[in-house]
Amino acid sequence: MRPPGLRRAACILAPVLLAAGCAGVQSALEPAGVEAVHIDRLLRLVTLFLALVFAGVLVATAIALAGPHAWREKLASEHLVVHAGMVFPLVALSVLLGYGIWVMGQGGSAQAGVGLRLDEDIAAAFEALPASGLRIAVTGERWWWRVEYVTADGRRFASANELRLPVGEPVPVLLASADVIHSFWVPKLAGKLDMIPGRVNTLTLEATAPGVSRGQCAEYCGGAHALMSFFVVAMPPAEFAAWLEREAAPAAEPATRAATAGRRLFMTHGCAGCHAIRGTVARGTIGPDLTHVGGRLSLGAGVLPNEPQAMARWIRDTAHVKPENLMPPFAIFTDAELRDLATYLEGLE
Amino acid sequence: MRDTRPERSGWRRLLRRGALAAVLVLVAGALFVRSGLYNVAASSDHWPFTTWLIDRVRVHSVDTWSSFVPAPPSLDDADLLALGAAHFEGGCTPCHSRPGDPANAIAAAMLPPPPPLGTVVGSMDAKALFWIVKHGLKYTAMPAWPAQQRDDEVWAVTAFLVRLPELSPRAYRELAGMTRTGQAVQDGAELATGSESVGLTECVRCHGDAETGPLSGYVPVLNAQPRRYLERALAEYADAQRPSGVMQPVATLLTPAERRRLAAWYAGLAAPREDRPDPAPGLVEEGRRLAREGEPGTGLPPCLACHARDHPESFPSLAGQNPEYLLGQLGLFRRGARDGTVHGQIMGVIARRLGDRQAQAAAAYFASLPAGGAPALAEIAP
Repeated sequence: MRPPGLRRAACILAPVLLAAGCAGVQSALEPAGVEAVHIDRLLRLVTLFLALVFAGVLVATAIALAGPHAWREKLASEHLVVHAGMVFPLVALSVLLGYGIWVMGQGGSAQAGVGLRLDEDIAAAFEALPASGLRIAVTGERWWWRVEYVTADGRRFASANELRLPVGEPVPVLLASADVIHSFWVPKLAGKLDMIPGRVNTLTLEATAPGVSRGQCAEYCGGAHALMSFFVVAMPPAEFAAWLEREAAPAAEPATRAATAGRRLFMTHGCAGCHAIRGTVARGTIGPDLTHVGGRLSLGAGVLPNEPQAMARWIRDTAHVKPENLMPPFAIFTDAELRDLATYLEGLE
Repeated sequence: MRDTRPERSGWRRLLRRGALAAVLVLVAGALFVRSGLYNVAASSDHWPFTTWLIDRVRVHSVDTWSSFVPAPPSLDDADLLALGAAHFEGGCTPCHSRPGDPANAIAAAMLPPPPPLGTVVGSMDAKALFWIVKHGLKYTAMPAWPAQQRDDEVWAVTAFLVRLPELSPRAYRELAGMTRTGQAVQDGAELATGSESVGLTECVRCHGDAETGPLSGYVPVLNAQPRRYLERALAEYADAQRPSGVMQPVATLLTPAERRRLAAWYAGLAAPREDRPDPAPGLVEEGRRLAREGEPGTGLPPCLACHARDHPESFPSLAGQNPEYLLGQLGLFRRGARDGTVHGQIMGVIARRLGDRQAQAAAAYFASLPAGGAPALAEIAP
């Protein structure tokens, strides 16, 4: 048997260690978005309220067990049962419920799609939003995120597996699904909202501070569900505007011989059948748009860091990096060819 | 207690004697084996009883196991028949002889000697023939099919065997492509026609040359294929990464240098032009759409993303290829039979997303194009 002291220490230490997991890019306890701040406030308020009630119950129990006779008399009175047992919960819980409903109203509003064709639904939902600002659509795919931006001046272009937002501007994000139910959750920015086939939901994201948040699919969607993540980068407005211009532009021409060789490999060996790179003949829409893949933080929907070696590994060994993902493994390339391909793709910033 | 004693000891005596006898038999058996007195020579026959027993076991075994063979495809298919005959000529005649030819003296000295097929197969049903060709026979020299995944090839040989009893020697030679060899003259031609590599089944007999196309729709057109693709295919057959009971035995006979020369020879040949009518209304058009646009909703990329005119040298050209061959290969990809190679792993993923109709449409479309006539990548981009 362990000495009791050690066990007690473990009991005290365990929650402290667990609490360490509450920090970081995916923590709802470090809100960086308007909706997440509301949720965080609600959580703190309810926790405080519950703590106070619990303390009250403890005090009442102590009095009932060992208090002076007069106090125990009062505790047993009908008066207390009516006020503390009925009136107080009714009022307090109603107030909390009202506040909770108000917080919910600050977040997503759902709207039904007609469910005919996904792209038409999204186009219609874009139309329904005010045309004066930035709009984003995110479609859950197995197992990655299709992202589309519509700029204030009406340009529409594709990206994938990463979202960028201007700090301080509420951005409507349309959420849809191409296949099964997914759930879009960036705990630092907002609550989660499901992506349901045949519907287009809207979530408004407003970042309060620049920085990186991590999102995760929060509804089991089969095979590689656990490896379906993404990053959201909140940027100061001026920086964001510059980034948006770069992102909207077609891909840059390859600058080196290796990159040129990589582009030729990409176009002729089938990659272009599934992936698009704007400004080239690659127009596939089955997989993620790679026009600016080199500028993203991660590869494979949050699975690998975005660096040339990881890119080569992803291309050759995708089935092991992300089991069950739908891309065929391209083990046909030599190491030199993989280097060229990685050089080309990493250069697409 | 005492009364039961004699009875128990009787049991015991019996048991003890039985055990002793068993040990003696085992020891005697071991001594007999070790002595080498049993004569394994194939020059003398089995005892009549042994022959009879082996025969009964074989007949009943084939009966029982072949009843699990799935229903055959249409065995009247002329292309299937021709493929079966052509492979019979290369793979089976060394032991079973051609129709009309006397038994090979070496094969005739086997125990048991390979039976004259013309008379034997007539009494067997297609399923039994299929089962024997696929699995071979123990206690005879009949080997199993080298590529157990290739039931399609086994059915071709079965289709031929079913027709064998009624074939004249002349008709056989025609069917097996033996009248087609001998015209090819070019670099690597001697090899292809069989005059260089002894024992090599002549490529031209099945795949044709500059003048003739393949002898069956199930045999691919090799003319004007990229040299590197042909070399890769031969290497994959030789290493058994790409399963085929027809091509594996042939490819293993070739040295890498011979494979290179053969690939170069066929790559340099012009393809014979064949006009193929649309097999079903709209099928070619459907295939054309699939080839150019794919079907993004089901994760199907356009075929031309890899098989456009300007595709890499290590990918096959599909334009002008035989539709039966294309469809057969798609079937293999879909069943995972071609997952043994890195190229096959890519196509396998795509092929498994194809429906039956889509596979037929894609095959019909590429077959309808003239060789080398697939659109270039830049032409398909909208």
